[in-house]
Amino acid sequence: MSGKREFLSVTSIVAMGIGTALYAAFNVFFNIFQLPGTQLVALRPSVAIPMFFGFVFGPIVGFVAGFLGNIISDAISWGGFWWNWDVGNGLLGLIPGLTIFLIKKEEMSTSKGLILCSILSIIASIIGMGFAAYTDYIFGYGISTIEEATYALFLPAAITDAVNGAIITPILVAAYSAAVKGRARRA
Amino acid sequence: MSESRFIKYIEGKSIIHNLDPRAKIIFVFSILFSLTISPSLILIIPLLIISFLFYLLAKLPLKKTITTWKFVLIIVVVLSMLNLLTLSILYKHGGNIIFEFSWFVITDEIIQRAIFPVMKLLSLAIVTITLIFTTPPKLYAPALGQMHVPYKPAYIIQLAFRYIPEYILEMRKTLEAQMARGFKPKGGKNPLAKILSIIPLIVPVTISAALSIYDIADAMELRGFGEKKNHTWYRKLDFNRKDIFLIILSIFIVLIYILSYFYFRFLF
Repeated sequence: MSGKREFLSVTSIVAMGIGTALYAAFNVFFNIFQLPGTQLVALRPSVAIPMFFGFVFGPIVGFVAGFLGNIISDAISWGGFWWNWDVGNGLLGLIPGLTIFLIKKEEMSTSKGLILCSILSIIASIIGMGFAAYTDYIFGYGISTIEEATYALFLPAAITDAVNGAIITPILVAAYSAAVKGRARRA
Repeated sequence: MSESRFIKYIEGKSIIHNLDPRAKIIFVFSILFSLTISPSLILIIPLLIISFLFYLLAKLPLKKTITTWKFVLIIVVVLSMLNLLTLSILYKHGGNIIFEFSWFVITDEIIQRAIFPVMKLLSLAIVTITLIFTTPPKLYAPALGQMHVPYKPAYIIQLAFRYIPEYILEMRKTLEAQMARGFKPKGGKNPLAKILSIIPLIVPVTISAALSIYDIADAMELRGFGEKKNHTWYRKLDFNRKDIFLIILSIFIVLIYILSYFYFRFLF
């Protein structure tokens, strides 16, 4: 395959669709866990899904899974649409995908790869939720001081997502690499 | 966990059901854009009325929409209003005092800052759930495709809507399989405990879904997906007079709100 076809190959299109569907299907349930004292921040163990898709299938797949998955789940659970939170969720998937520039593909399921995956999930939570919370402040969507953005949006969202992502994503990666072992073409 | 509850399309024959999905999507985005830039509470109210009219015209039965309404009213309106009130009382801003009791002060500024975002959320929620309730999920991708979105991105959305019910079904199957092996999910009628029982399903469902990706991709490649640059859609959508009216209305709303935005910006 030439380099241009790799960008939107059939496999990556399917991976984006499946990742979106999974993230949306789980989020519909978890959107009920609104954290008290925050502004529409939910506790979602499902954040590991875009991180896993980003880590295994590449940054663009991770971004699309997080971005579209969040749009669809918000729309079907309560009809919301906030572009900056959707981009923030996309970043949750994009940043773990950067691992392809850091280690070789064969090393992904070794302990080195899993530790890197955990660290990248934490960085992704901080950057992604930071982006979403502070764009809320910059554009004035509901909050108007930087302390509110930090304590009501950024800290609760980033901490819960970092804990969930750092624990569940490496488990997913390890389970996936064990499941694909011995199958042709799948790694 | 019935799968039909989550893709919430309700069949019907109202005006809104018969509109072209493209016109509805344009309308929702025009309301969203106007809400985002509208600078004062007075300008939110007409949008709230328009979106409520849009909902009423769809003639949706209350029996089928009640779960969504409960969610919108309890989570979005009550909880976020309480949260915003706490926030604006904690981080004081000034304004005229309405009620005072030692350190506890309520000003008109606080009330406005608690109500303003909730109004925005409510109006947006009404428009979006009307779109979701009245548009069959299989029409989103053809609509986007015929709005000149390239067909590969449109197909991602098609795939997503195709597989969401599948994975909700898969979750139930996995839970039943685990129960057959002796796993006991907690809570009988407690809804929160029911949702907590989904957490152990994340790993198996995600892995089985990720393993099926290559099979689906192979099946699509065998049928020649992605070979040609052009792609036609099985369902051809046509605008009629009502659709054109709705699009003109959307453009009109957006223009009014852009004008009022600049008016408020430079005069006050």
